[in-house]
Amino acid sequence: MASENQWVIASALVASLFLSFGIARTKAGRDFAAILQNSGSWIVLLIPVAGLAIGLALHEEHFALMMLATVLIYALACIGLTIQFGYAGVINFAGIAFFGIGGYTAAVLGGMGLPSLLVLLAGGLVSAAIGCILILPVLRTKGHYAALITIAFVLLFRSFLEVNHTLGGPQGLRVESATIAGQSLFTGIRIGSFEASFYLNYVLLALVLLAIFFLMARFLEKSWIGINLDSMREDPVGAAVFGVNVAYWRIMSFVIGNVLIGIAGATFAMMQTFIAPSNFTFQQSLLMLAIVVLGGIGNLWAVIPAAILVVVVPEKLQAISEYRFLVFAILVVLVLRFRPNGLFPRSMRNFRKEVGQ
Amino acid sequence: MAILLEYLFNGALLGVIYALVAVGFTLFFGVLDVIKFSHGDVLTLGAYSGLAAFVSLELLGLDLPVVSLIFVLVVAMLVTGLAGIAIGQFFVVPMRGSPAFNILLMTLMIGTAIHECIRLFVPGGANPKAFPTLLPRTPIEIGGAYIRLDSLLLLVLGIGVIVVTNWMVRHTKLGLAIRAVAQDGDTAQIMGIPFRRVVLATFALGSMLAGVAGVMNGLYYSEINFNVGVLLGVIGFSSAVVGGLGSIWGAIIGGFSFAALQTVWVLFFPEMSGYRDVFAFTTIIVLMTIWPTGIIAERYSERV
Amino acid sequence: MLWSRGIAVAALTAIATLSGLTLTHAQQKETARIAFLGPLTGGNSATGLGGRNSARLAVDSRNADPDRRYDYELVPLDDECLPNVGIQAATRAATDRSVVAGVTHFCSAVAIATVDVYNRFELPVVVWGAILPAITHGNDYPEVHRVNGSMLDESKVLVEFLTGLGYKRWAVIHDTTDYGTGYLAILREKLAGSDVEILSTFGVAADQQDFSAELLRVKEIDPQIVVFAGLTPLGVRVRSQMDRLGVRSQFAGISGIMSVSYHDALGSLSEGTISVHNSAPLETLPGGQMFVDEYAKAGFAEPPEPYGPYAFVATNLIIEAIEEVGANREAVRDWLNTVENRNSIAGPITFDEHGHNSVASTKYVAQDGRWVRWEDSLYAAGERMLSGR
Repeated sequence: MASENQWVIASALVASLFLSFGIARTKAGRDFAAILQNSGSWIVLLIPVAGLAIGLALHEEHFALMMLATVLIYALACIGLTIQFGYAGVINFAGIAFFGIGGYTAAVLGGMGLPSLLVLLAGGLVSAAIGCILILPVLRTKGHYAALITIAFVLLFRSFLEVNHTLGGPQGLRVESATIAGQSLFTGIRIGSFEASFYLNYVLLALVLLAIFFLMARFLEKSWIGINLDSMREDPVGAAVFGVNVAYWRIMSFVIGNVLIGIAGATFAMMQTFIAPSNFTFQQSLLMLAIVVLGGIGNLWAVIPAAILVVVVPEKLQAISEYRFLVFAILVVLVLRFRPNGLFPRSMRNFRKEVGQ
Repeated sequence: MAILLEYLFNGALLGVIYALVAVGFTLFFGVLDVIKFSHGDVLTLGAYSGLAAFVSLELLGLDLPVVSLIFVLVVAMLVTGLAGIAIGQFFVVPMRGSPAFNILLMTLMIGTAIHECIRLFVPGGANPKAFPTLLPRTPIEIGGAYIRLDSLLLLVLGIGVIVVTNWMVRHTKLGLAIRAVAQDGDTAQIMGIPFRRVVLATFALGSMLAGVAGVMNGLYYSEINFNVGVLLGVIGFSSAVVGGLGSIWGAIIGGFSFAALQTVWVLFFPEMSGYRDVFAFTTIIVLMTIWPTGIIAERYSERV
Repeated sequence: MLWSRGIAVAALTAIATLSGLTLTHAQQKETARIAFLGPLTGGNSATGLGGRNSARLAVDSRNADPDRRYDYELVPLDDECLPNVGIQAATRAATDRSVVAGVTHFCSAVAIATVDVYNRFELPVVVWGAILPAITHGNDYPEVHRVNGSMLDESKVLVEFLTGLGYKRWAVIHDTTDYGTGYLAILREKLAGSDVEILSTFGVAADQQDFSAELLRVKEIDPQIVVFAGLTPLGVRVRSQMDRLGVRSQFAGISGIMSVSYHDALGSLSEGTISVHNSAPLETLPGGQMFVDEYAKAGFAEPPEPYGPYAFVATNLIIEAIEEVGANREAVRDWLNTVENRNSIAGPITFDEHGHNSVASTKYVAQDGRWVRWEDSLYAAGERMLSGR
């Protein structure tokens, strides 16, 4: 821990910041972004391949693997948020609440011995179902008012958990670890002389989930639905004039986003094997939003480097670990003030290729 | 009966604090159509600068009860006023063309930065801090109810500040300018009203109210912590919204209604008192669903 | 431009790495690392920092001994008194193979949540401040030990103390973590069959601000005594709001409120609060004077707080284990499990089959801004009076 060379990490941080600007500014960077954006679906395979490679390289490092899995899980949740307000423009400050609902669902159902994959799915569905309570308020209100509703929700969610004894109260709940195909994810993989930490299992699980939903979100973005969402985000009245059912698509994106966030929350809870209300503070919700904003609102790929920045850097760089909320708050303020499109802005749609042919 | 009176009294005291915060939100929204969410954390800043003022008085060896209260309040208002101007000048005014979400998130993050700075850079900032007793704690009996003199004085102070604010907005030149900008910024500018200066003055005024609220909150609970502003900010915003953003009376009514919601819940369900915030926020969500822009709807002609 | 910066960074990195290397080579002894976990920030940080300082004192004094087998390094980690944060910190310590053992947790809510982690990653730990019985008795993990006694020791003395003072009508306010609810259950058990009546109990969240609702109810019920089962920050709020609302019952808190910060936060309002603690006043401990002197000499910024001596004992025990059997988790665990009648500054330590060490509790009262042993206080002497009798 302490022996980790802080300088190496600090310089890596500086380098990655330069790199990120480089990518956005240089031609090579733009070309790379265009490749990511415009290639066929196979390009998404980069995620599991790269993730697997890193995971295998670190297969004995419990803590590093846990961080890797956490990054992937946060990235998954942030894809949900991207669908909600990156694409559809539905403001949701309650991300962590839906994450928490997924987690608590996993805690309750996992104890009943249901199959883990079902529990994960249930986590997403329950969080979407509870999110439905908010649909009407969120639909009817706009701007600040909609924001207030989700902020009020995240606060009342935490407050509810604190006082509600059946869900463990402030003490929190133990969560059963996942079991997939009769194999507990709690025992590390052992093949011959290869022995891996059990966190590798969760890295694999998170990788699979992330790849699937990343692909889904990509299809969504590139399809006519994505165009509908873009148009209604930019100009709801104009979109309605052209026949886009604004209310319907706002609901759909809110629900789909919450499913993703809920699944991410359930996975996280199973990996941590313990959750408590203090996991789900407003502060954490802001940190989640910070990932989306820093990366570049609406840019799916940007979620991953931003998640690494927000999750891993403070853990690695102990000098700033205590300052992480401060550092990211200032970063987000600066980005919003001077570079509102994020470090990796979402690229323009290439209509000729996507629709024209 | 006496107990009921005590509930009522404590509710009213909370209501005044909420109303002070809500008036700030309403003023900002009135002149600039933005929500400055760092308001709650500016309140925390006020409470801490008040505490710092008290500590420095103590270091100087001065122990004059009335003077130190005034000094604490003045310092708190000065610091929050300046913070309000700075946030307005450097972040909110230049951003006013951006989407609501961007300004909201940005001011939220400014708020986070403020309270994180308090947590990290104030010695022992992560821990709750005892707030000094600046008011006499003499117990008094009113109709069999037990009330401490300091609580009563706090209530009077809060109501006084609100009355003065309302008077300023209604009857002074600055107030006239604020109302003019709130009604129509462009026209006001044509009429020779210095737009930016009025906006910043409004930010200062609103933030000073938060400073007072912060000190009051500290005096009431005898304790402050770096996180106190987050919840108070959201409560203040909810109150302002329920009362109708842009109207001072709406904000005051909203503040008292929020406190009433909490108190009523506790009165009727004493066994489930922990759920008071859950209940209050749920009610807010329901109210906003029915009246999406507040009970007294946001009306452009009658701002501030 | 970019390149020159890159080179500068690389050069700095190289220098830093080199200086690190030379340092490690200059030392001959192997380093054994011991984790310390406790609340280093947040409302309970006073106790946590006192514990950390005491643990550091144990490590530093051993490092000054030329005949030691290892160099010792304390790795302090913050659990913030929150179960989820505690789990993260515990995982961090337990998955780091260079950490041999841990001195773990003050907050029961955190300690009970983390025992599974220590068991899973086989890190032997000695609890220094958490008193929930289930931490040691709720499982049969060979890794988990505790030097500071449990609620069973404490509540026995508390019940005798309060009934002896003639308090028959109680109201209990407890936090809703395992700490507060666990204590309530034990109190109920101990009071069954006695003539003490618990008029009402109030569960409150661990970060609740406003208690006017609960306390106005308490006022209506008018008990002789309000017994508070929770930690200092909450206890401070309850006590201060009792005064604001005119609740005149006596106030008693369990050991969770007993810290120096209780007086700092309340000022004159702390006067007359009674409490019970598993740690005796330092002067009366076998090695107490030595501990007080050494602690003062080390020049720590924070006081050791009542649990400091136990953190010192726990750390010392681990160091003794490592000296005898080497820096090996399994060996240290087995050594700890055989500890019997081993001398320490807090008296002899014996781990029973659960790894638990029983202690005798001491009665305290807050007098003039200090915690004073009841028997030595002006209250016991009859010069000052408690209320509600």
